Amino acid sequence: MMLFGLGNLFYVSILLVNAVAVLSEDRFLARIGWGNAPTEPSFGGSSDAASVKGKMINLISSVRTLMRIPLIVINTLVIVYELVLG
Amino acid sequence: MQQGSYAPPPAHSPPLHHPVPQHVSTVPMMRSPPPPQSQGGSNYGSPYGQMGGPAQQSGGGGPFAPAFGGFVNDQTAQMGFQVGQKAVMAGQEYMEQSINRYVSIPALKHYFNVSTPYVLRKILLVLFPWRHKPWSREQRPSSTAPDPSAPNTAYSYYFLPPRDDLNSPDMYIPVMAFVTYILLSTLLAGLRGAFHPEVMGLTATAAFAVVAVEILGLKFGTYILSISNDSQLLDLVAYSGYKFVGVIVTLVVAEILNRGKGTGGWVGWTVFTYTFLANAFFLLRSLKYVLLPDSSSTPAGGMQTVDRAQRNRRTQFLFLYSYVVQFVFMWVLSRQDSATATVVGIKT
Repeated sequence: MMLFGLGNLFYVSILLVNAVAVLSEDRFLARIGWGNAPTEPSFGGSSDAASVKGKMINLISSVRTLMRIPLIVINTLVIVYELVLG
Repeated sequence: MQQGSYAPPPAHSPPLHHPVPQHVSTVPMMRSPPPPQSQGGSNYGSPYGQMGGPAQQSGGGGPFAPAFGGFVNDQTAQMGFQVGQKAVMAGQEYMEQSINRYVSIPALKHYFNVSTPYVLRKILLVLFPWRHKPWSREQRPSSTAPDPSAPNTAYSYYFLPPRDDLNSPDMYIPVMAFVTYILLSTLLAGLRGAFHPEVMGLTATAAFAVVAVEILGLKFGTYILSISNDSQLLDLVAYSGYKFVGVIVTLVVAEILNRGKGTGGWVGWTVFTYTFLANAFFLLRSLKYVLLPDSSSTPAGGMQTVDRAQRNRRTQFLFLYSYVVQFVFMWVLSRQDSATATVVGIKT
């Protein structure tokens, strides 16, 4: 019943970031319309970046771009730690 | 830095009469410069200047040597002392800058500017928010009275500190309630006979994790809904700490009325429901001014207008946060003591 501590919080956040980072751009995201391709601006609708969907797309592409290299390192460290001490 | 008046080196070769400086040991690395020293640089007023001379008198060799050696060591000591001082000061400035970059100290001081009547009234407000009427924070134009405690905020209007404004968020009550919650749940575990030193750490970690998760969720929500406000993070941290007050009251009252049976039973649930509703109402009213910035107060611009759907979503997010999320977290926190008790009981 002891719910969560900081270690579990760390694991959960790493797994969530991993889950975002493994989303494939052309196999999955483009198929459901969440691709990073710039959508053609509609009439007067220049506020695409402010909508919720635009924010989510922006966030996903940012995480995929930015966190790729650090995630490799962090995942390796966690795997080694779990193998040795877990 | 001593570019003033360089004297020609003395006629006799310095290394012969250069005494072994055994008494100046403050800055050893600055002993290496060769003898061409400036003679006009002794106006620093350092206490090392008086230290170097008489100590060298006894150890000198020739007639020129004592003065010369003392002078050299005096200069090196002064230079070293100054260099060291400057290095330490630069390090301190760097540390302050890098601390101020992440947590601005003046902004934090603003949150701890409380008084005793404010704290009492605020706690009463958290526990009984139903009759409170004006919820907006008071503002004052910063041109008439520049606030010394928060100089780097970009407000044209700055908020009054908590000492003067009941509706202002503070950090004192959340921090104290946080610590009190940890100690109280440990105490309750002790009364139940299940004290274990790990309980304190477990409770602290869980409480901290709750606050961290809450802040992360709030920041995610504000990013998604593109809510931007100045000094928002500290406000959110402060507001997320007020629920510890309700949790503490729940724990104490349920412990007294239930005679140590934990927060179960209808008594515990009633108290918990009341404190939860009070806290949720308080948060709903208070966070309205953080998460739903008035379109009238923002400078009139075409980009600032929030359309109706966006505002609707923000309101839903506010409601979801202050009722659903708070319910989950307060339930977790108020069940914590019995949970740790069972864990420790199983373990031992």
